[in-house]
Amino acid sequence: MSAASALLKSEARLLARNPGVVIWTAVLPVTASIVLAAIPAIRRPDDSLGGLSFFQVYQPILVLFAITLLAVQALPDVLTRYREMGVLKRLRTTPVSPALLLFAQLALTMIVSVACMLLMVIVPALAGAAWPANTAGFLLAYLLAAWALLGVGMVIASLFRNAKVAAGFGSVLFFVLMFFAGLWLQRPLMPTWLRHISDFTPGGAAAQALTDSAVGHWPGLLHLGVLAAWGVVMSIVAIRQFSWE
Amino acid sequence: MSIIDVRGLRKVYGTRAVVDGVSLAVEEGEVFGILGPNGAGKTTSVECVGGLRRRDGGTITVAGMDPATESTAFREAVGIQLQESRLPDKQTVSEALELYSTFYCHPRDWRELLERLDLADQRRTYFGRLSGGQKQRLSVALALVGNPRVAILDELTTGLDPAARREVWSLLEDLKGTGVTLLLVSHFMEEAERLCDRVVVIDHGRVIAADTPEGLAAGVAADERVSFVPSAPVDPAVLEALPDVHTVSVSADRMVVTGTGDVAAAVIIALHDRGVSVTRIRVDQPSLDDAFVALTRI
Repeated sequence: MSAASALLKSEARLLARNPGVVIWTAVLPVTASIVLAAIPAIRRPDDSLGGLSFFQVYQPILVLFAITLLAVQALPDVLTRYREMGVLKRLRTTPVSPALLLFAQLALTMIVSVACMLLMVIVPALAGAAWPANTAGFLLAYLLAAWALLGVGMVIASLFRNAKVAAGFGSVLFFVLMFFAGLWLQRPLMPTWLRHISDFTPGGAAAQALTDSAVGHWPGLLHLGVLAAWGVVMSIVAIRQFSWE
Repeated sequence: MSIIDVRGLRKVYGTRAVVDGVSLAVEEGEVFGILGPNGAGKTTSVECVGGLRRRDGGTITVAGMDPATESTAFREAVGIQLQESRLPDKQTVSEALELYSTFYCHPRDWRELLERLDLADQRRTYFGRLSGGQKQRLSVALALVGNPRVAILDELTTGLDPAARREVWSLLEDLKGTGVTLLLVSHFMEEAERLCDRVVVIDHGRVIAADTPEGLAAGVAADERVSFVPSAPVDPAVLEALPDVHTVSVSADRMVVTGTGDVAAAVIIALHDRGVSVTRIRVDQPSLDDAFVALTRI
């Protein structure tokens, strides 16, 4: 077995033995999206939401809820603890780069968040909610959102040496990102100035890009561009700042 | 050519030179000890040798390679057991060894290592549930699983209870003569006396002594210390008058005499002449501990 696949398998096994974070991340948004989809009134278009149904507005937010929680809480928590414990330093003593462990963790986080996303799209569709009308656009928006948000998570893992501090910062950031994504005040209901700010945050841009493709449009270039820019900048910062010990 | 050759190694943090001109040479198959008080620059030195820290001056060659390149060939040739490095709590012993063995081109059989390090019964135990000694043995196993030519073991037994410490020592004694060169960092003199072929003592970033453990101990003009219970009260002045005796002290019924040369024999003969016999005698010869204290005293 190659080192990369052995490491991925080992990390997956460790994740399965500490399922708490994943369960906590997945259960709330997945359950919420299924429950919302099951209520017919919520699937009905609403003029106050710009002609969208409450479900159509909320589904992207819940999809983002899961990946944001994984990206800014679970991922930095694991990586900062590995650094504190000296796991990364020990890997550095071997012919294998510790970067392989980062990729394994990124891959696992991505697999779990895609699984959550699929559950949140497929199960409601089976319950009678709409399937994302522009599937390709939805996937494109999702992948760019994942890049931007995982990038933010990697920056947290790079900047904070202490797992507890990283977790605290991650929680605060989670609420900020989700606020702009419209968890409490949906984007159609935001005042114009607030929506403009939201457009330039990873959460807001991702929510709009996912919503647009869910109702059949292509995501706007502005939102895709914002997500890509966050992805690029966060990746560069994370790589520059990261240290093994 | 020496398998480890360090010349004029320097490492500076800010304006402070933590390692200031360390040179040493280790031959293949040797067990070489780096001793010194806490903060002397031992770990920094071996981390430069192990390619985990960039040196600021000097040259290092390990198995013909410069550690600073951090090449894959270097990582294959050198196994490092780090101070305070843990594994995920829920990784089992055999999972960790199996995983790390996939990182190397020509790994040792990890199952054989399990047996050899006496961890076979713990193969399915989570790392978080291992005792301190078991964790250290696993750590040694991970340093050896790649079949390295050189293994660097940093503060292997610090924080272990005496039984666990001896357990790790006997394991290393078994490793002696298997061809692996061991570079051992320690501040336990007993450890160095027991395991090392040669040692250097580092203090304030410099090598202040280099010899065999016995050579170092003998090189220090420390006193031999004789303690005993005389069968009848003895006037300390009688013993103080002996040529080799330096000090005499009495506590309860026990007398302690220090001196050089064959002081124990001199004391026994002197007392025998006065009809006093010596019971419960104990003789402490200058040890590496004494040498260490004498050398690193500022």
